[in-house]
Amino acid sequence: MKWKIGGKPLTSRIFLGTGRFPSPLVQNQAIEASGAEVLTFAIRRVHLDAPHDDAILQHLEGDHFIYLPNTSGASNAEEAIRIARLARASGLSDWIKVEIHADQKTLLPDPVETLKATEALVKEGFVVLPYTSDDPALARKLEEAGAAAVMPGGSPIGTGLGLLNPYNLGLIAEELRVPVVVDAGIGSAADAVQAMELGADGVLINTAIARAKDPAAMAQAMKLAVEAGRLSRMAGRIPKKKYATASSPLGLGV
Amino acid sequence: MSKHILVIGGGVIGLSAALECRHRGHEVTVLEAGTCGGQASGAAAGMLAPYAEAGEEPDALFRLCQLSLRRTADWVQKVEEESGISVGYRKNGSLQVVFHEADAFLLESKRRWLREAGAEAEVVSGNRLGQMEPGLGQGAVAALWCPEEAHVYSPDYVQALQSACRKAGVRIREQLGRLIWQGHQGDKRVKSPAGEAFEGDEVVLAAGAWSCEWEQSLGMAVPVHPIRGQICAYTGVDAPRHLVFTSQGYLVAKPNGTLVCGASEDVAGFDTRVTERGIRRLESWNKDVWPALQGEQPFHHWAGLRPATQDGFPLIGRLTRHPEVILATGHYRNGILMSPITAEIIADLVDEKSPALPLDSYHPERFAVTSY
Repeated sequence: MKWKIGGKPLTSRIFLGTGRFPSPLVQNQAIEASGAEVLTFAIRRVHLDAPHDDAILQHLEGDHFIYLPNTSGASNAEEAIRIARLARASGLSDWIKVEIHADQKTLLPDPVETLKATEALVKEGFVVLPYTSDDPALARKLEEAGAAAVMPGGSPIGTGLGLLNPYNLGLIAEELRVPVVVDAGIGSAADAVQAMELGADGVLINTAIARAKDPAAMAQAMKLAVEAGRLSRMAGRIPKKKYATASSPLGLGV
Repeated sequence: MSKHILVIGGGVIGLSAALECRHRGHEVTVLEAGTCGGQASGAAAGMLAPYAEAGEEPDALFRLCQLSLRRTADWVQKVEEESGISVGYRKNGSLQVVFHEADAFLLESKRRWLREAGAEAEVVSGNRLGQMEPGLGQGAVAALWCPEEAHVYSPDYVQALQSACRKAGVRIREQLGRLIWQGHQGDKRVKSPAGEAFEGDEVVLAAGAWSCEWEQSLGMAVPVHPIRGQICAYTGVDAPRHLVFTSQGYLVAKPNGTLVCGASEDVAGFDTRVTERGIRRLESWNKDVWPALQGEQPFHHWAGLRPATQDGFPLIGRLTRHPEVILATGHYRNGILMSPITAEIIADLVDEKSPALPLDSYHPERFAVTSY
């Protein structure tokens, strides 16, 4: 079933980060196995004067991906805006993932600067997908600012700690009208299932796939997990009970 | 106890392992399908730069590379003395140059973890950077300086290793074609297509990108695959004082007066041809980094196949299902760098000594599932 971001119909619910893969072949195999249509990368790593000859992007040619460049490395709104403009000017994409780090150790997003950059870039006509903390009030403000999707973190980038605050993530998924993509912290397929069961519209994964022992196999696991989690959410789970209920009840059988 | 070791592959890994095993008193025969150093080894730029090559953290690859760098000066000296051939070893230090302000932030965090891991590393910018490397392009914002990093001239390193091996009494056989081992059928000999059979006590598989050809006979996944690297060289150009790294590639000045620029990464199977696009890729950024290249044409270009692996770590270790087989392959971008430590580890495994670092992360049998 299709869904949309910024008016663009999407099939896959996995966004894949292109950093940290052991080789371009493994990267391509993982992209294929994940079924991802949206690929994200740090603009600072890209050779913007010749993007198709870039060390990473050159391997992605011939396929119809949607590029989601990110502003990783920016430490305030001004820098992020500058980076976003560079990316658009190179003709790569008018989608932008706002990623502004509050500190180097946790790389957690700076909420105030993220909101500022989102407001400004929406006004400039970008399709803006901010990477944000799991705060529901902030997520709402980002939506009001015109974010095309909101991407709350499960846990700090690259940690694989999973979803540290499922309650908040669930609230965000419930309250927002724009798509919610859980970004960062996913460590294994179980985390992807959980994100989707909480009501997320998609997940963004990089390290958990790129640094797995078999990245293509993990990519496939994530694809299945996202599908399973979404189906499970839509199917409607049973309420949790304290005691057993016999699965072969007395009374009228079928 | 002296053993007879068959080393499959005459690249830098095979030759280094052969030399070290010979020094430890073993009888050694190197079996090479083509010419020694004829593939990735001879084509490499010879960068000994674990810090510039490192990603975001001191992972298992980093630890192996760093340990090998620390062994390099002594190893190179030994190889040069025994062979009488200079390998062009130069400890120029490296500069990882960034051209985005957003990258300066990451240099700082990399500097921090490198220092914690015992590396010398310093962030330089502004006038200081200009003084250290005056020829850098205007856009250079900052650089991470790692003074311990070095390089060798790979073709000479291969020659020196070969010569040192021969002088030490290692037998080297070349032009044998694709070598087959049928240990799973009880035949422990290594055979050439011409029907020649070689017998030893132990076999060291160091066949780089071709190691996967043994998957069937070993009865296990050997997830090593070729990634083509294309390199070009300039002559008569003012050369950088340091090894210069950027997100797109590197530049390094060789003692013979050439400036080497590498290396593109292509997925091209076992095709070793140089392509116009591959070289254009290098030319698309190198003039911005090093403006002296403006208007210059490379006088030489070449390509090699790097042995990449599924998880980015090499395959080093003795097999449990075939204890007479040791793997030493999948060194990808850093075979020259890792040759001293790999040689030491292989000789330790042959001698049944415990190696300088735990091998779990490199164990060739770590890939349990290969397909869903």
